[in-house]
Amino acid sequence: MVDAAPDSAPRAGIGLRAPHLDEVAERAPSVGFLEIHAENYLADGPALRRVERLRAAHAMSVHGVGLSLGSADGIDAHHLDRVAALIAQLQPRFVSEHLAWSVVGGAYLNDLLPLPYTEESLAVVARNIDRVQTALKCPVMIENPSSYVAFAHTSMTEPAFLAALVARTGCRLLCDVNNIFVSASNVGFDPVAYLDALPAAAIGEIHLAGHARNDADGETILIDDHGSRVSDAVWSLYRHAIARFGARPTLVEWDTDVPALEVLLDEAARADREAAAMVGQAA
Amino acid sequence: MSALSLAELQQAFRTHLLGEEQAVLVAAAVGDRIPAAARLRVYRHHVFASLTSALGATFSTVRGAVGDDFFAAIARAFIAQSPPVGPVLSEYGADFAAFVTRWPAAAALPYLADVARLDWALNLAYTAPDTPGLTAEHLAAVPADQLDGLTLKPRPGVALLRSHYPIDRIWALNHGGDVDTVDLDAGGVCLLVLPRTDDAAFADLDAGAAALMAALEAGDPLGLALERALAAAPDLDVGAALGRLLALGALAAPAP
Repeated sequence: MVDAAPDSAPRAGIGLRAPHLDEVAERAPSVGFLEIHAENYLADGPALRRVERLRAAHAMSVHGVGLSLGSADGIDAHHLDRVAALIAQLQPRFVSEHLAWSVVGGAYLNDLLPLPYTEESLAVVARNIDRVQTALKCPVMIENPSSYVAFAHTSMTEPAFLAALVARTGCRLLCDVNNIFVSASNVGFDPVAYLDALPAAAIGEIHLAGHARNDADGETILIDDHGSRVSDAVWSLYRHAIARFGARPTLVEWDTDVPALEVLLDEAARADREAAAMVGQAA
Repeated sequence: MSALSLAELQQAFRTHLLGEEQAVLVAAAVGDRIPAAARLRVYRHHVFASLTSALGATFSTVRGAVGDDFFAAIARAFIAQSPPVGPVLSEYGADFAAFVTRWPAAAALPYLADVARLDWALNLAYTAPDTPGLTAEHLAAVPADQLDGLTLKPRPGVALLRSHYPIDRIWALNHGGDVDTVDLDAGGVCLLVLPRTDDAAFADLDAGAAALMAALEAGDPLGLALERALAAAPDLDVGAALGRLLALGALAAPAP
């Protein structure tokens, strides 16, 4: 499933969203892959049947948003079974989840909530990832979250925490460049130093998306709303990521005010051009 | 002060998001140019906004009937009281109609809970597995002396809904149907909600067909179900009523 040898010139993919299902089926646009959110296709119904038909023409990526890898309570066995069944059905090229938590005491809070980066959290997340990788029978890529808060008792940096997860569990990493930019601005770190601290060989996929600028008590806070084109600053960070990691399968995500399919395809084409230019420079 | 354990932090975060501000959580969060409480509000806002949006998608007729602001107020109270128990948001809201029944501000809108039941039934029909329906050929293959004892089950996703209000017209008014106004005193309806290949739909049933469907849903064998339908509607053409249920794809094909 997850291709361990990075493709030399992988094409960028797009996040497949409900408003585009029919058009993608009709046009079969030339993109590297289509990424779906696992939780949108766990119930039966027409949407799942349409995605099942798209498999013939497109490589798929299944991106989980609800496994809650950071839950001290552990992984919801019923939910994990359903994700495993979807992955067995769709046989995606990539499987990914988030370094975050959403579940406590049986309540699902529908957000990717932040973790303190401590030895205790590392043990919890590593145990949960082990359980998920065993159930899904494949390595999972773990995505860095967008953060709005940090915890005082955090004892390691996020890249160090991610690197430790790779070492302990054999997971891979999904590097969300927009999330790095958003978190760097919100909680205060150098996004370039962050990229440089990630274990390059573990990066299996890159995410790109737009963000919004909001006001919090008179100060700017960046919101990872996936509701606009990728910003110039994030493209710049993307070029740095490619220079450091080499070209990686890249995804353009858009979830708020989803635009015409053409706009997503245009962003994906730009990601291809930016990556090709960086790889060309390196050669 | 010793740091919160991860389990303590997550419990406090839940309470903070859904209800009361938690001083221990604010103290554990780093505040600088943006105070910790303001940072934590970003998460609270997202939780309520995203779940309100999910409920609004599932209960689109309720939202349309009461407007976005009123809907957001019900949704907020519902979310705080009954957060989702799993991450599949199309499955969130099974008890929303019951909550609407008890919501004081909705007391003047007695039809609203039935509208919520219709939205929920359509949601279940939409996510039902695609299974074959019972046909006249299936019935023709059953020996005549066994027909009365036959138990016919609804297809997965099929639901019978009764209301004292014209909820079919309220639905149409809010989904671009050919309806300009709704007379709430126009009388009740019996609706059969049905999965369709790429959608979900509902059909109006007359009293006899509704009684037949209700009896079959309750597990009555066909002969008894037809008797009950005749008792409910003495002029009923039982063949036509059964034919209508077959034509709608309301009943499940026998297991192969």
